Amino acid sequence: MSASRARRDGLLRPQYVLATADCRAEDVGEVGGKAAGLGSLLRAGQRVPGSFVVTTAAYLEYARGRAAGPGGDASRPRQAPGEEVRRSIERSYAALGRQPGADIPVAVRSSATIEDSADASCAGQFMTFLGARGADEVTSKIEECWISACAPHLESYRSERGIDAAGQSVAVIVQELVDARVSGVMFTQHPRTADRSLVVIESSYGLGEAVVGGEVSPDLFEVNKITGQVTLRSLGSKATEHRLPAGGRLVQRRPVDAARQRAWSITDDELAALLAMATELEATLGWGLDVEWAIGTVESDGPGESLFALQVRPITAGPARRSRAAAPAGSGIDLILGRLSGHLPSGGAQ
Amino acid sequence: MARRAARPVLTSGRDLSSEGTTGSMAPDRGTFRNPYHVEAPPGAEGWESMYPKYLLFGPEMRHRDERKLWFFDQMHNPEPVYPFDLMMPESWLVSLNQYTTRVWNLPTALGIEQRIVNGYLYLSPNVIDDPAMIAEREPVFAERARHYFENWDDIYDNWVKKATDCIDRLKSIHFEPLAEREPAETVLSARGTTTAFDLLTRYSRLLENMHEMAYYHFEMLNLAYGAYLTFLEFCRSHFPAITDDLVARMVAGIEVILYRPDAELRRLAARAVDLGVGDAIKSPGEPAAVISELRRSPAGRQWLEELEQVKDPWFYYSTGAGYCHANRAWVDDLRPPFAALRDYVRRVERNEVLSRPLEKLRRDRERLSQGYRGLLDDHEAAAFDTLLALARQVFPFVENHNFYVEHWHHSIFFNKVRDLGAVIVAGGLLDREDDIFYLHRYEVYSLLYETEARWALGTATRGEVTWRELITRRRQIYAALEAWRPPAALGVPPDKVTEPITVTLFGINTDTINRWLAAEGRDSSDDEFRGLGASPGVAEGIARVVRHVDELSQLVDGEILVCPLTAPSWSIVFARIAAAVSDGGGIMSHAAIVSREYQLPAVVATGLGTEIVRTGDRLRVDGDTGVVTILARASDQAGQPAAAAADAAGTST
Repeated sequence: MSASRARRDGLLRPQYVLATADCRAEDVGEVGGKAAGLGSLLRAGQRVPGSFVVTTAAYLEYARGRAAGPGGDASRPRQAPGEEVRRSIERSYAALGRQPGADIPVAVRSSATIEDSADASCAGQFMTFLGARGADEVTSKIEECWISACAPHLESYRSERGIDAAGQSVAVIVQELVDARVSGVMFTQHPRTADRSLVVIESSYGLGEAVVGGEVSPDLFEVNKITGQVTLRSLGSKATEHRLPAGGRLVQRRPVDAARQRAWSITDDELAALLAMATELEATLGWGLDVEWAIGTVESDGPGESLFALQVRPITAGPARRSRAAAPAGSGIDLILGRLSGHLPSGGAQ
Repeated sequence: MARRAARPVLTSGRDLSSEGTTGSMAPDRGTFRNPYHVEAPPGAEGWESMYPKYLLFGPEMRHRDERKLWFFDQMHNPEPVYPFDLMMPESWLVSLNQYTTRVWNLPTALGIEQRIVNGYLYLSPNVIDDPAMIAEREPVFAERARHYFENWDDIYDNWVKKATDCIDRLKSIHFEPLAEREPAETVLSARGTTTAFDLLTRYSRLLENMHEMAYYHFEMLNLAYGAYLTFLEFCRSHFPAITDDLVARMVAGIEVILYRPDAELRRLAARAVDLGVGDAIKSPGEPAAVISELRRSPAGRQWLEELEQVKDPWFYYSTGAGYCHANRAWVDDLRPPFAALRDYVRRVERNEVLSRPLEKLRRDRERLSQGYRGLLDDHEAAAFDTLLALARQVFPFVENHNFYVEHWHHSIFFNKVRDLGAVIVAGGLLDREDDIFYLHRYEVYSLLYETEARWALGTATRGEVTWRELITRRRQIYAALEAWRPPAALGVPPDKVTEPITVTLFGINTDTINRWLAAEGRDSSDDEFRGLGASPGVAEGIARVVRHVDELSQLVDGEILVCPLTAPSWSIVFARIAAAVSDGGGIMSHAAIVSREYQLPAVVATGLGTEIVRTGDRLRVDGDTGVVTILARASDQAGQPAAAAADAAGTST
């Protein structure tokens, strides 16, 4: 029996904060999809920025408290999280910084239990704050994630439905922020043709927000997994980047100068490192992954750059799931005779 | 960044052979020039008289012929076909097509037709699309082809014996000039017939021997290409982005007879350095002068003896594709192998290891195939294994038959024809031994009869004037035809091209046809064109356009070879070039195979590279994408150092 199952069944006390490495797919109801993805990255041996997860138990406790009070809607003044939750967050945040009193910058993200659901009507389920520093600010951002995820839930808690919110809850990830020189997305098979021999990489300057938000068109690369050859390069425009100013708190959006726009955002060595990451991840997690990555520094580890894995999930979009060609049946000779008789393979290149 | 060429706009498919349906074809995809609208080049009027009627576009079949696709067989006959050399395509027409149509009963293909247009050979595949006919042929084909696949190794071993025996019998056919008097032996043995009669019978044996070898040529080729193509298409259906080059590298043999001639040169170069005669071989003189210098020392004589041992068979290696008598084999023209020896001796002296890295090639082959296999699910991997094993089993035939047939046999054959030409010159009806190649082989029967008659009469005959007039006119016509540039294709493209030989050997598929269609309207000032990426990598350098093997000597180290096509014996220049671009050729063509061997970028099947590029242009060749970019035109560049050096080198060799 897993720990989460035991807790759900009331055999264990609810845990408000979990180590990300302990977040597994079966814990999604407690930690959300993103956290389970991060956990699998860690277990696959990838370099991931330090993080912890504030569980749905913490959220539910908070939500219960709000719903019990008068008014019970999002416009109400805040209500502090419980003492135990607060202490857990403070302890975990301090541990991220390695050195005592190092208030490192973090990203605070909601990790929804219904992520990627088509009816994810609560935009707040996907809340992100980049660059929070200090335990107080971090706790307050976590609370904002809770508040925004979201008012309709709180409404429902006031009704007779009670707190049956297994599929409608939210966890929060607190993760050290990478000051990314460059970041992007990687598909470990071709998202359109489902060709497993290709890794498709998009990269742009700064944090991934510019790519995800569609602000920039990134550089595009296709790399052959077996030969390591870069079979396609397409230069993007990359007009802006999101960077964390040195010692600063908030991520800033700034223009990229013309010379850097015309240059490739990553080198061949970096492409090779990404290719290695793709191969390692597929060996543990299976085919067809969609990976977020960044190359940059973290304050807890000094000025040296590293390649970080930030997120992983199976490729889900419609065409990417296009069914692979069925393996033909019969002996090799039968297959050849069939071909020469005009029976062409189905599902071929399009 | 290189401007990326637009994908062909007419279909989205990479190859009809992997599409399977015709639904995606645009109805107005365009056509090539009508073969009936092609005019004779100036000075070549009456060229049709050099070729038999069944190979010419005639009014009787116009309604049918002008609606078909006819593609230029640049791979085998890049030059106008000499009337005698027409025997080569004529014999493969019957042997290949008999196998397709009557022996195997390939369910979906009939024979490949041939036409001559202004001297150049054009081909047109024929498909069967009547389901009833396909169904009727399928069981016959399956039973017969299965017999070959199930017994492949034994049949191939026996094939080598048959081919070698055919070559031995060819060697034993001798033509000697008729003596002033019939030898006394005829009388003393009371033989009855004469040496003039032998001319006719031996000529018939010569033609029969050529036809026989043509059958062996195609005995296993359809099936071998079918096995290869099935594996190729399996790989494409699971890995849409896989290149033909990668598939070829998973299948290709490691120790291949086709590389032996070059390997022997490397070995001889090392021996020359061991024996201390490297300097003599490096001297820039003609081979004859080098050989007489070597004869002066015991070590030199030792080396020459070792050279002689290698010549049969390894110097029966044509400088062309083996279909034209004018491309001499090394054994007849030592200049190409001696040029390579000079280079190899220099490299041995620099302590370079010249032998092929067999272990590395084996590892590369396994790394690739295991890599792709590892991306498949279990049941897919099982199909991959069995198809790869079969492709590898048939491949020695694919790679080695070239040497036995096109190089060894054909080189001897053309020399026998030359010997016969000398007999006729001695008989007084022709001036030069190679005049005979301006006559069709059946015209040669007439010529032989007249030679015999003239010898019998002991008087002058009219033929000594008329044959010479005919040859003179045909030489003029041939020169005019040589100046004409044949278009890559004529007529109307079909909906699909799936016939294995057409797809695999000639590289003709929808992509090719679309590239050619796109090229129809463009002029030679375009700065970018596409072909088939046949060997990976990117290289930049100065172009050297080489239309004929004689021009190879002008090539300067580090240049990019741009040619109509290459023959295996051109491989000796591949050690010196940066990349190769050829107008013709498929993924299994010589340029492609040799480029992969030398790990050079290569783009084949551009259709018009030699038209667009000029010697001295600066090119970028992308062997991955098949794009060739002209970075700077020769006239744009000050100095043109490589081209200038090339001219100097051209005069010194």
